[in-house]
Amino acid sequence: MDNPISSPDFSDFSDKDKKDLQSFIQNEQQKAKFQANVHNLTDLCWTKCITGKISGATVDRSENSCLENCVNRFIDSQKTIVRQLDVMGGRA
Amino acid sequence: MDNLGNMLNLGSNSTKEERKQALMSTIAQESNIENARILIEKINEKCFEKCIPKPGGSLSSGETICLTNCMQKYMQAWNAVSKAYINRIRSDPGGN
Repeated sequence: MDNPISSPDFSDFSDKDKKDLQSFIQNEQQKAKFQANVHNLTDLCWTKCITGKISGATVDRSENSCLENCVNRFIDSQKTIVRQLDVMGGRA
Repeated sequence: MDNLGNMLNLGSNSTKEERKQALMSTIAQESNIENARILIEKINEKCFEKCIPKPGGSLSSGETICLTNCMQKYMQAWNAVSKAYINRIRSDPGGN
């Protein structure tokens, strides 16, 4: 095993091929980032909103609106903190 | 880690277009696997916490039912959060 990572030959790829791949990968990265955010938000909001015993397989209406609020208030909080940091930075 | 050529399942005589498509589908597949892996990890963590408050000598039938329900419920919650997040991004594109 002298060369564990031998990559296939892409030397015949044109600029267009490379550009296609680049934008495909950028798109995938954006998707992955979005999904990571959703995983993080679901984790947080599950803890906040699904507080009772699990009695069925569905999210009920009040839990659903709690989840929605949770996402929106989390983003509001984030924006408030960033804004506040900006103000503090301006003062320092 | 497998070698990339094997992973892409490419013979030496595959066309350029085949190699391009193979590369893209491998990337998409890896990304889907990673997404599913994180989801399963989270479900396991959250539902263990909810359904197995005091681990006994074996999983009871009640605990097993709870796990099944919890799993489905977590996926629904994931979808609800995803929807809310998309709506927020759409209505508020500049702000995060």
